[in-house]
Amino acid sequence: MKRRQFFKTAGGATLLAGTGLMNQTPALLMDLYAFGGEENLSKVEARYYKKHPDREIECLLCPRFCKLGDKERGYCGVRDNIGGTYYTLVYGKACAIHIDPIEKKPLFHYLPKSNALSIATAGCNVNCKFCQNWETSQVRPEQVQNYDFPPRSVVEYAQKYNCPVIAYTYTEPIVFYEYMYDTSQEARKKGIKNAVITGGYINPEPLEDLMKVVDAIKIDLKAFSQDFYTAYVRGELEPILEAIKIVSKSNIWLEIVYLVIPTLNDRSNEIRRLSRWIMKEIGPDVPLHFSRFHPMYLMKNLPPTPVSTLENAHKIAIEEGLHYVYIGNIPGHRAENTFCPKCKNIIIQRKGYQINNVYIIGGKCKYCNTPIPGIWS
Amino acid sequence: MASTVVLIREKGVLTPDGGINQRKLSLMFKQGIQVLMGQQNQEESLRLLFKNNDRVGIKINTIGGKKLSTRPEVSYSLAKMLLEYGIQQRNIIIWDRTSRELRNAGYRLNLNRSGFKVFGTDTQRVGYGSKLVSHLNIGSLFSTIQSDMITASISLAILKDHGMAGVTAGMKNYFGAIHNPNKYHDFNCNPFVAELFETKPIKSKHKLTILDSLVVQYHRGPSYHAQWAGKYEALIFSLDPVAADFVGWQVIEKLRSKKGLPSLKEEKRDPIYLRTAEKMGLGKANSEEINIIEEEL
Repeated sequence: MKRRQFFKTAGGATLLAGTGLMNQTPALLMDLYAFGGEENLSKVEARYYKKHPDREIECLLCPRFCKLGDKERGYCGVRDNIGGTYYTLVYGKACAIHIDPIEKKPLFHYLPKSNALSIATAGCNVNCKFCQNWETSQVRPEQVQNYDFPPRSVVEYAQKYNCPVIAYTYTEPIVFYEYMYDTSQEARKKGIKNAVITGGYINPEPLEDLMKVVDAIKIDLKAFSQDFYTAYVRGELEPILEAIKIVSKSNIWLEIVYLVIPTLNDRSNEIRRLSRWIMKEIGPDVPLHFSRFHPMYLMKNLPPTPVSTLENAHKIAIEEGLHYVYIGNIPGHRAENTFCPKCKNIIIQRKGYQINNVYIIGGKCKYCNTPIPGIWS
Repeated sequence: MASTVVLIREKGVLTPDGGINQRKLSLMFKQGIQVLMGQQNQEESLRLLFKNNDRVGIKINTIGGKKLSTRPEVSYSLAKMLLEYGIQQRNIIIWDRTSRELRNAGYRLNLNRSGFKVFGTDTQRVGYGSKLVSHLNIGSLFSTIQSDMITASISLAILKDHGMAGVTAGMKNYFGAIHNPNKYHDFNCNPFVAELFETKPIKSKHKLTILDSLVVQYHRGPSYHAQWAGKYEALIFSLDPVAADFVGWQVIEKLRSKKGLPSLKEEKRDPIYLRTAEKMGLGKANSEEINIIEEEL
């Protein structure tokens, strides 16, 4: 196969795959090449689908349950019915590869200070109007440059670049389920952990299977109302809450992020209902991050979230009894730190993605010996 | 004011071996356009639609492979008619989203200065534009063929049943002009088909709908299933994109009924996007306001 020139496809998507890599991990460029076009896609049979008569299929991976005729593609844009067999087109086809601090995911109670080899393919099973990565998530895989990066290579790179964690992130890893699953299995064999950064819009069966091979899951809860999910996400709230409950009952480390968007999901009563739900269904120890929104994609008409709005959300969640509530995307804010819920001392001091000090010893607060939930080493 | 839809049928346009009688096909085009435009000759008819210096895009639908795509003979017949009228050959582009699909449907790709141009959006240095066009909170990038290269557009779609939309015809054909049609199939594609048609790159350039209804897939579309693909030997013409598709829908229902299949409404997949399009003022989607002129050569 010839190395292809970049060509003008989906805006900056092709560049995103290349320049991100160049900025973060120049050494990787030595032996990885990206290709565009249909001919470089994978044709690996997908999991979780049902065959119907007349070459029709029904996808069972996410709650959309796409029913597709021959030659049709799922909502996610990366799974294709070809002659009555359903294929993933992105197996081993990463469009973004970076090495990030784990705090960027954000995972605050999971192996702090670790580097995560972070990968994504094109595609997403929702369509958030505020997507930060729409140039890769809202396009088809043939419209971006993809690195040929099979599971074994991902694991080798994680080892080579001293990454104890592989993160499946940026777009929506559920849509590259098979790739993520097999990579996680390979990683496990080498003692590397797996973290999934997801919107959580997945059916229980594939989720439960995935939990057998991954170690941490961060779920983006986009709002606590179906109206918001209908209007701005094109998804459903209930299956996501269900996914959160399923993960919380397992031994997988779970954190929740809530992107606070001015006027749309920032009402005090919504935040209070969310906090109460978490307290009731999961308990006080799950970290909850309130992140600042920045105008992006189709939502450029709103300003960035005022700091006071985030502080209000933080205050409500604490009032409702949650122990680990954070404010994200405001580097230097006091609520980036982890506080001991008992003695109230700072036990992890952060600034942005940087950790300045950790006062947790053997999983306990250095000052009062209170156990602090998380995976610390 | 009622919309006009012209339905030209010609027995024998499909030859017994599955080919096309080119002479009959050309006459069908000629008659269709003349009747539609109320003119005595093809040139006068086309003059009412196109300027000589227009760059005309013929958007075809080739997802269904050789057996269920806008046939090359049909596309070239239309292109030749435009050429005869005076559009320069190099300004006529027959196109769809990918070159692979065009090839699979029997087209020979052509990017040369001579001959009708035939290529997909995925051709190098073509691609999708970088400006998001947003409708109903979905953002799309348009094929630069539609947004930049052409000044006038003809939707030359194949008429098919569609599992989600109910019917795929002239309006839905433009799903092939955006980078993310997979995001437009919820809720029986309603209101997305209508909403997409209303975007500037499409609505401002669309001049004419022609439905290739020589063979109609009336059940289990949009892919080809021989047992439900009926010979209909018709071309459907209209300036009203909604009315054209509405009449196409009626053809599908007629063929379904003949075979004892339930109506699309009974299957809860009637093309409700047509009613939406009508409400949006894009055209007519009710028989009372559509004047159907059915002719045989």
